[in-house]
Amino acid sequence: MLRILHAVLLGLVGAAIVHIVILVLVPRYSTEDVWTRLSAVARPFETVRLERAVLGADVPEPANPFIEAAVCPFDLGDGTLHVRGSGAVPFWSMSIYDRNGLNVFSISDRAMAGKDLDLVVLTPEQMLRMRRAVPAAFRDSVFIEVDSAEGLLLFRAFVPDETWRGVAETFLEGIRCAPGQAD
Amino acid sequence: MLKTVFLVLLSLVIAIGGGAASVWLMLEEAPPIGAVRAGPWTAYPSMGTREADPYSRARFAREGGIPLGRSEGIVFTAMRDSAGQSLSRSCTYRIEGPMPVARLWTLYAAAPGGALLPPLHRRQTALHSWRILRTPDNGFAITVSPHPAPGNWLALTGTGELRLVLTLFDTPATNGAEAQGLSLPEITRTGCDA
Repeated sequence: MLRILHAVLLGLVGAAIVHIVILVLVPRYSTEDVWTRLSAVARPFETVRLERAVLGADVPEPANPFIEAAVCPFDLGDGTLHVRGSGAVPFWSMSIYDRNGLNVFSISDRAMAGKDLDLVVLTPEQMLRMRRAVPAAFRDSVFIEVDSAEGLLLFRAFVPDETWRGVAETFLEGIRCAPGQAD
Repeated sequence: MLKTVFLVLLSLVIAIGGGAASVWLMLEEAPPIGAVRAGPWTAYPSMGTREADPYSRARFAREGGIPLGRSEGIVFTAMRDSAGQSLSRSCTYRIEGPMPVARLWTLYAAAPGGALLPPLHRRQTALHSWRILRTPDNGFAITVSPHPAPGNWLALTGTGELRLVLTLFDTPATNGAEAQGLSLPEITRTGCDA
């Protein structure tokens, strides 16, 4: 009897360990996260508008009918990322998702110095080097430091009604994600 | 000998079966952790961020999605009215009350899965703050109904359960301290189709 109790107790301790191990491993092996789903349809430094009709049902699309979105994966391994865009959408915002699909940074159009979109995404090391001599091309840019070299930028634009859809689509498709300064 | 084998097997079954089943239960059945509630509305501001607890993170990894960042906004969902009754697409509701400061907000009617309801002819089942008619004191009231209503009408289509999704964009309400004591509009049921 005592040995059965012993075995059950041992099993329960084991169950706790298995519970924790599975919990930690689920995010690592998930194939459903944003990164896995979007890196299949968009290559690095390429802006793709999130549209199920074009990209397939597996692509996450904003459920909000007044929001259009576009995504641009990046890889800071070879240098910084320079993002530019212009347009007159009433509101836009941007999030950076890391390789696990977690939202690590977000910004809205209020943070821009001018009317246009002008961002530089870089790693802390690249930021240190950038501080020594900021190139003239980046004078008005907003600098964003991220700790993961790979990730994706997701832009959202507000579409108040159908007459604005063309403006929002032009804005999103006109966003240029380009490798900035090489290391 | 046989007894030892049985005991080892028993331990293993409890460990692996129990461990896996308990994780599955926590992720599928238990309510998510980290909710911010304001009347009938619920939001998960830490969902899909690095601050999320391991359970929310595992749940998020299984479901995917593109959650709004803190500087972008916050999404509140209501599945029940202010009296605690489940929302239904064949009922009429009145949404009225204070709205937190935000650049803009959107409100749409969704199915239980979170997808937008199909439009009623050319009428979207959604509204936003630019399209709202306001009273002289800057307040507003929205009628959520399958039947046309004067003023601000949020059309409903189909039958079955309903979710109302309220998104505040560019709002100070996204930081943790503010989100706790937030007051959002009340949802009052005014009638139902028999």
